[in-house]
Amino acid sequence: MASFHGNAHSETAKMEQIITEFFAKSLQIILESRSPYMSSRNYSGEQAVSSPSSSSSSSSSVRPRDKWFNLALRECPAALDNIDLWRQSNLDPMVVDVILVQRPVDFDPVSFSPKRNSVRNLSLKERYPMFVNSDQEEFGCEEKSEKIIERWIVQYESRMSRDTCHGSSRRMSNSTLYKKTILLLRSLYVTVRLFPAYKLYHDLNSSSQIRPFTLTHRVSSFVEPFTRQEEREMQKFVFTPVDTSCGRLCLSVLYHSSVSDISSEPSTPLSPQVITDYVGSPLADPLKRFPSVPVPGSASHGSPSFSPFVRRHSWSFDLNRASQPFTSFSPSPTHSEPHATNSNPSSRRFPPSSLPPHPPETSSMHKKDPNFDEYFPSPFSASPSPSASPSPPIRIPGSHLSNALLRSESAPVGIPTAKLANSPAFKQNLPPSPPLKSSKSSTSRSDKSTGVTHSGTPNEKLRQCSGLKLSSNNSPRVSFSRSSSRSFPDDFDESDFACAFDVEVEDITDPGSRPESFEQNVPLCDPLEPGGGSYATRKSADAAVGALVLMLRKAPPLRQDFSKSVANSSGVPRVETWGDSNTVLDSNQISEGLVPVQHVASSSVMASGLVTSKTTADALEELQGYRDLKNFLLSQGSKSHI
Amino acid sequence: MNCEVCQLKELEVGHLEFEIREVLRCILHTILFHRALGLVRPKDVDLELFEITYVQCGDLEIEKKIDEKIEQFISWVEKHPNKKSQICLSFYEVKNKQAFLFTHKIERLYWEQWYINLNVSQLPRTHSGKSHRSKVVVDPGAMIIESSMEESSARRAALEASLRDVLFQIIKFVNEKKDHVPPIPNREGVVSYPYEITIPSSSDSAFGMDVFKRMLQTGHPTMLS
Repeated sequence: MASFHGNAHSETAKMEQIITEFFAKSLQIILESRSPYMSSRNYSGEQAVSSPSSSSSSSSSVRPRDKWFNLALRECPAALDNIDLWRQSNLDPMVVDVILVQRPVDFDPVSFSPKRNSVRNLSLKERYPMFVNSDQEEFGCEEKSEKIIERWIVQYESRMSRDTCHGSSRRMSNSTLYKKTILLLRSLYVTVRLFPAYKLYHDLNSSSQIRPFTLTHRVSSFVEPFTRQEEREMQKFVFTPVDTSCGRLCLSVLYHSSVSDISSEPSTPLSPQVITDYVGSPLADPLKRFPSVPVPGSASHGSPSFSPFVRRHSWSFDLNRASQPFTSFSPSPTHSEPHATNSNPSSRRFPPSSLPPHPPETSSMHKKDPNFDEYFPSPFSASPSPSASPSPPIRIPGSHLSNALLRSESAPVGIPTAKLANSPAFKQNLPPSPPLKSSKSSTSRSDKSTGVTHSGTPNEKLRQCSGLKLSSNNSPRVSFSRSSSRSFPDDFDESDFACAFDVEVEDITDPGSRPESFEQNVPLCDPLEPGGGSYATRKSADAAVGALVLMLRKAPPLRQDFSKSVANSSGVPRVETWGDSNTVLDSNQISEGLVPVQHVASSSVMASGLVTSKTTADALEELQGYRDLKNFLLSQGSKSHI
Repeated sequence: MNCEVCQLKELEVGHLEFEIREVLRCILHTILFHRALGLVRPKDVDLELFEITYVQCGDLEIEKKIDEKIEQFISWVEKHPNKKSQICLSFYEVKNKQAFLFTHKIERLYWEQWYINLNVSQLPRTHSGKSHRSKVVVDPGAMIIESSMEESSARRAALEASLRDVLFQIIKFVNEKKDHVPPIPNREGVVSYPYEITIPSSSDSAFGMDVFKRMLQTGHPTMLS
């Protein structure tokens, strides 16, 4: 008898342990998919601890806690901090509220930076998991609205006193109980990912874009019940309870089914201000004027001054953002409309490089485009295939693996501010100067490289990212190149003016070279590493200046002035070409056109007076010269074009 | 032991290899995640076509087996377009049955069967010179060009909603029916119970025969759907 009672007690103890661990595991499952910034899910979008190998090989590295219910999960400090109460007594219900905290529209982006403050917030939340007010620090403002979007209730309903448990006829073996709790937790794991709140969590975690909302949680035993109105707005999902000898384990959730609308709202546009640790494209706000920095060769052009570009994350754009006026730059009118509603403003602001039009791309490539469009102010995002038009069936950016992958390699190259100084009366204020072209190429290239996320190191990818390649295979890489080529005229590879960033200008000087020459612009793509934004910007600016100097030095002396003016003017035909769908100039045409132009029009250009000191009249004359040149090039292009 | 059968809601899938693959992977992995009760490190997978995240066991063998079967199914679909088809995921126990005095017969005792019902339909072809607003989607495998952005969006949205319904159907079934699941064997590995994935075979009638054969093998087929 003694052994029987001993066994019964140990059975009961085991059962209680199963129930206690069930609370802990369910809390971990819920919080690790609802607490952004806290889970170890990395920004690559892949699971941090995902191990494709069989569990047996990884069992040695599995923590003892993980083995409970045969579900090895990532560390979740929030869960660990909150479970103590239920370790002492599993008779209290565990209520996990998932709270959506929304900030007002005019928040202060500098003070709100979940990523930046993640360490601090983590400590705050670690210490005070029940305190929702910690979010105020995170948001940096007082006005915010909170809404409980999910309420998970885990409860062990005890049916009878413990003394009679082992005498109950409904005794269930612990192995059966364990099996059923395993099944219940598996279905919980799958289910948490299907509710709307998961999308918010996914968006927050996979994107460093500053969002107008965040998620927090509250774990407690007793909560205020919802009002009738609130309950009416929520739906309930109840997991089938698992019976035990003494009671039953219950798990249910009340959730809002309409929270996904929040994440699809466009983020608040940042007001123009300089963010010192910017990691993004300076093309965020093309209408911004960039500081005029004296650069050899460019001073003569008498440029308007530009204010410092707005730094924002290159991935801070989503599909729904209204396009900027530059959509007219799309190579053909057929794409202007999708552009109008698609992609991010900065992509539009980039003066399109001349890339040859290309046939429609494959679906898989298209699917990736919107994601990249979202994150990278790429000129190529303007391109896309019609599939990137509004309301694609593809997943909205911000919530994707590919997005997260992109983000980890993005850090778009900064544009050297000096180069943007030259901007004669261009449409949409797009400076046509070589530096800008190069910046376009580098940014577009960088965007493409970030788009190519599936293989190789960042450097390899960048080297491979021939964004201007015109091959016809179906690789995603090519799709971006095609998309970019569709967006922008192909005068990008004007060898002489290729990329100011391009240190290796030898290849670029090949007039017959295709846009592939821009592959050489690897150095500037290198800074595309996470966290290297500001340094990349400075480095690229310096590199751009150096490269420009190098380029000018290499330029033929007699044509030095002409080459610069041609470079400037060649942007004009590009601009105007956009309005003409049939006369997109490809790189060959432009480069070929340049050579004869040099011979033929040099005198007229030289006569335009490239003198060191310029007046407005001189500038206007020069503009006229450029226009003439542009017309000439257009005529050249239409002759040689198909 | 009862054999529990779950007939999943029929899904209207376009004749697009990528789409079929995504849908089947999602469903098969979700079911297996609920049935591979060994120690797992779950792996979240975001579907590219839909806003759905499903869970894989993270086991290479399972992944490989599922992918193989999906490829076989896609090949079958190529030969039998515009058909309703069923993929059956069955879990069984292996029993050694003594047929005669000294001979043993390996018998499979199916305790659970999941029927994934797909209606693969050819999508309307597009004409060249269509409005520039059409979305052009070229699926490398199917070589079918889907026309009209609006139609495809609506179709995809409907498929996504249906897929969600199917996933919840799986979750509910797993929750409601636990008693028939055999005890978890004490062995290493993710896969606890042997399983097989059956796709329609080349001849139309053979599929019916497969089902019939399976029914004969099963101890007590109880069709509960």
